[in-house]
Amino acid sequence: MKKVLFYIFLSLAAVAFLYPFLWMIIASLSPENQIGNLTFIPTSLSFESYTEMLSKIPIARALFNSTFVALCITFGVLVFGSMVGYALARLEFKGRNLIFFIIIFTMTLPFQITLIPQYILMVKFQWVDTYWALIVPYLMNSLAIIMFRQYFKTLPQDIIDAARIDGCGDFEIIFRILWPNSIPALVTIGIITFMASWNEVLWPLIVIRNEHLMTLPQLVTLFAVGGAAETQLGVKLAAATLLALPIVLAYLFFQKYFIQSMASTGIKE
Amino acid sequence: MTKKKLVPYLLVSPYLIYFLVFIAFPVIFSIVLTFNSWNIISPMKYNGLNNYIRLFHDQFFLQSLVNTLIFLVIHIPLQIIVAMLLALALNQKVKFLGFFRAAFFLPVIVSGVVVTIIWQQLYGFDTGLFNRILTTIGLGRVGWLIDPAWAMPSIAIMATWKNVGLYVILFLVGLQTVPNHYYEAADLEGANKFQKFFKITLPMINPTIFMVVILSTIGGFSLFIEPYIMTGGGPLNSTLSAVLYIYKQGFFFYNMGYSATLGLFFALLILSVIMIQKKFIEKE
Amino acid sequence: MTKRNIVHILLVVLTLFSGISCSRRNDRNPNNLIYWSSNNTQEIQFAKYVVDQWNEKNPNERISFQPVPEGQSSEEIILAAVVGKTTPDIYSNMWEGNVEDYARAGVLVALDTLKGFKDYISQRCDSAVIKEVTSSDGHIYQIPWKINPIMMIYNKKIMEGLGLSDAPKDYSDYFSAAKKFRDENIDKNGYVKKWFGYCEVQVTWWQRFFDFYPLYLAASGGAPLIKDDTAAFNNKYAIEVFTFLHKLYKDNYFTKEQLSVQQDVFLASIIASRFTGPWEIAHSEKFKPKGFTYGFSAMPVPDNHTGPVYTYCDPKNIVIFKTCPNPELAWRFIKYMTDKENDLKLLEYTNQLPRRKMLDEDTFFTNYFKDNPKMLKFAKQSRYVRGTDPYPHLTEVFDIISQEYEESVVYGRKTPAEAIRDAAKAVNLLYLK
Repeated sequence: MKKVLFYIFLSLAAVAFLYPFLWMIIASLSPENQIGNLTFIPTSLSFESYTEMLSKIPIARALFNSTFVALCITFGVLVFGSMVGYALARLEFKGRNLIFFIIIFTMTLPFQITLIPQYILMVKFQWVDTYWALIVPYLMNSLAIIMFRQYFKTLPQDIIDAARIDGCGDFEIIFRILWPNSIPALVTIGIITFMASWNEVLWPLIVIRNEHLMTLPQLVTLFAVGGAAETQLGVKLAAATLLALPIVLAYLFFQKYFIQSMASTGIKE
Repeated sequence: MTKKKLVPYLLVSPYLIYFLVFIAFPVIFSIVLTFNSWNIISPMKYNGLNNYIRLFHDQFFLQSLVNTLIFLVIHIPLQIIVAMLLALALNQKVKFLGFFRAAFFLPVIVSGVVVTIIWQQLYGFDTGLFNRILTTIGLGRVGWLIDPAWAMPSIAIMATWKNVGLYVILFLVGLQTVPNHYYEAADLEGANKFQKFFKITLPMINPTIFMVVILSTIGGFSLFIEPYIMTGGGPLNSTLSAVLYIYKQGFFFYNMGYSATLGLFFALLILSVIMIQKKFIEKE
Repeated sequence: MTKRNIVHILLVVLTLFSGISCSRRNDRNPNNLIYWSSNNTQEIQFAKYVVDQWNEKNPNERISFQPVPEGQSSEEIILAAVVGKTTPDIYSNMWEGNVEDYARAGVLVALDTLKGFKDYISQRCDSAVIKEVTSSDGHIYQIPWKINPIMMIYNKKIMEGLGLSDAPKDYSDYFSAAKKFRDENIDKNGYVKKWFGYCEVQVTWWQRFFDFYPLYLAASGGAPLIKDDTAAFNNKYAIEVFTFLHKLYKDNYFTKEQLSVQQDVFLASIIASRFTGPWEIAHSEKFKPKGFTYGFSAMPVPDNHTGPVYTYCDPKNIVIFKTCPNPELAWRFIKYMTDKENDLKLLEYTNQLPRRKMLDEDTFFTNYFKDNPKMLKFAKQSRYVRGTDPYPHLTEVFDIISQEYEESVVYGRKTPAEAIRDAAKAVNLLYLK
């Protein structure tokens, strides 16, 4: 009996976390006048909301933008993060501790302080309404550097020494020797970076006003608060569904990595 | 030899460039901005301490700080209690553990935009799910987003729902580090479940709790997209978060100088709150 | 470290930062201008039509068309574009109330310096409109293009059900109809299921174009908001409007909930009426359920009101930005876009009124209005409309009024008189600086 109650409790909790998403998907597939009904199965399937949405906003373009931007950022963070992390972990040089301290310090710096000046910087660089504004400020990430540094410290010195004897330069050491030995770190940092960049809204809202350069969450946000949805709820929910879909699919396949990555850093989106 | 000495600097140079351009310069420029009024279109105008004077008389900014505080006061305890309950449940021998864990974690990975759009519907006064449930079981409706007293708590509840999965995982990790023989020893002394929880479990996972507090605090301080989509800061500015207010001053009215002042002041406030929390943790 | 490595890293850094020097707008072709229109579906169709026609006739002087990017409001987008120097050459959805700010910031072309402008404008508009669009420095920076007078749309079936043949005209009629409707739609727990009307409760400044401002113009016979750099709305009309609106919320005739996040509540017969513009016609025809009928009438006025009922017309005008490499070409395109044939196309495509004098009597448009009797109501109303006063900071003015509106009208934390007085005080401060 106790067991049954226990599972009822857990199931109710699971429903509480899953039902809203289910409702969104069902509602986006229902005809507009039936959305109000809170059911589990749509009474009749309709893709009208989706076709309507596709005709109103360049969602395919936004999907491309988001993917492109997130991939560029993830790649940049992995490359630069491992370069700096390697130098801090494995090389001796003057100012190393100072740089390490600076990185730790910038991690604690709230973004509110740099928001306005960074925007002005974008204006002065004429990067407003370009991919540059979306990508460049995110190419470097203090957390990633620290994580790489920690991980590289745990790798045995032997593999580096062996590579040096073979005549490898530092770049080859990083990308040919250390990377293949750091898959967990790469996956973790990659997932966090990709997700954070995929879900970012505030910065795109500020620097991008050209519809064709907007990221998916930005476009959906503006669609939700702006007038283009013409008060058609199904259309809004269809847009929201499309925004959630890629990450949820990735999550279904790589669930373990997602949970581990996020838990290891405690970072929310 | 000199080439070799250069290598580390070359490796860290991207970071140094990044630091100078995107951190150091903005921080300095931000401080300069606070002494000026500027809408970007016309030239910058020096206006002394006016931005600071305005800040200390600005009832909206004060209210946005109070709102943020209300958010944190509701969000943090709720988060800890719910996460703890679910983590304790999952820490038993549970069938379908993977499914439940995955379900609780799902909202964490989904964009806040999606979550907000869904919850806006759930919170509807006339047609929303919550009020339908309340009226079905014979209770009165709640003005989730239209009652100034309820709007911020509603957003805090939603934020808890969205993030709690992460903290369930963190607590689970913490719970699994508690050595089993502690409980066995307690069993011998005849301790009941509650005693075991408060005397053993809680003290052992204290570090995790504090981590949760810090992370939720930082998260709460950057509250933006939820009120931006859901309420636009209303009703009666009750969900105007500090970041939303900075955004409005900066990108709605283009008061760049004042917006930078708000940002600077708010950032210092965050830093001191985090410092105090850290001190507190170290003492524990 | 090998030389190759050094080259690599330099390349990476260089590619990343080369964007700094690359600007997209260096080599603008003076014979290919960029034109932004509003981004609603019908207007995009109209703009595409006009631009295609133009490009066919003038293959060497092309216009590139794009709707204004999506945002919370197009005003916000244009401001951002001006700041980011990403403005188009021609923009046709400029809110009249912003022009003075932009003119003073020096980002607009003074149109009266262009050849033939004075003849053009005096042919198109009457002297009151010309006065309305003339800047304080004596120049004209905008072409009055289109208007959307705000009127009351109402659900005919509901009004008939209440025993009314037409929508209520004055405040008392409005209240008694609203009361009857509320009493019919209240459940045993005291919850109202349907509302007599709806106004957007969000404090966003431009929401007041659809409640306070047209009601104020209606009550006052078209009085200004700002005059001689001071608040002119601190009067009994504004207070009457606030009192009227407050009673609607207090007595549960209106809801405080943001219904706009749901489905279209007017077409779903959840609300009986709302204040809106002629764009609602196209929208309603597209989405209305079978058998749904609706009509338009003037804004409600105070009980003892005499004279014509004015309203706000939400004027959207055409401007040329100074970044335009060829204003003369832009001017020719605008003249083409706003000639009589294309104004008729504008009506047909968008159900928005061109701002021409005597529109309802012009024989050129007679057939259109015969086919679209609902639009004729708006055309007739267009004789009694106001735009905005030619002063800067109007965004902030409407924002101040919005804040007081929420406190007083929606939540009753202040009396209408206090709210209007406080708003006027804050507005006066605005013009001091």
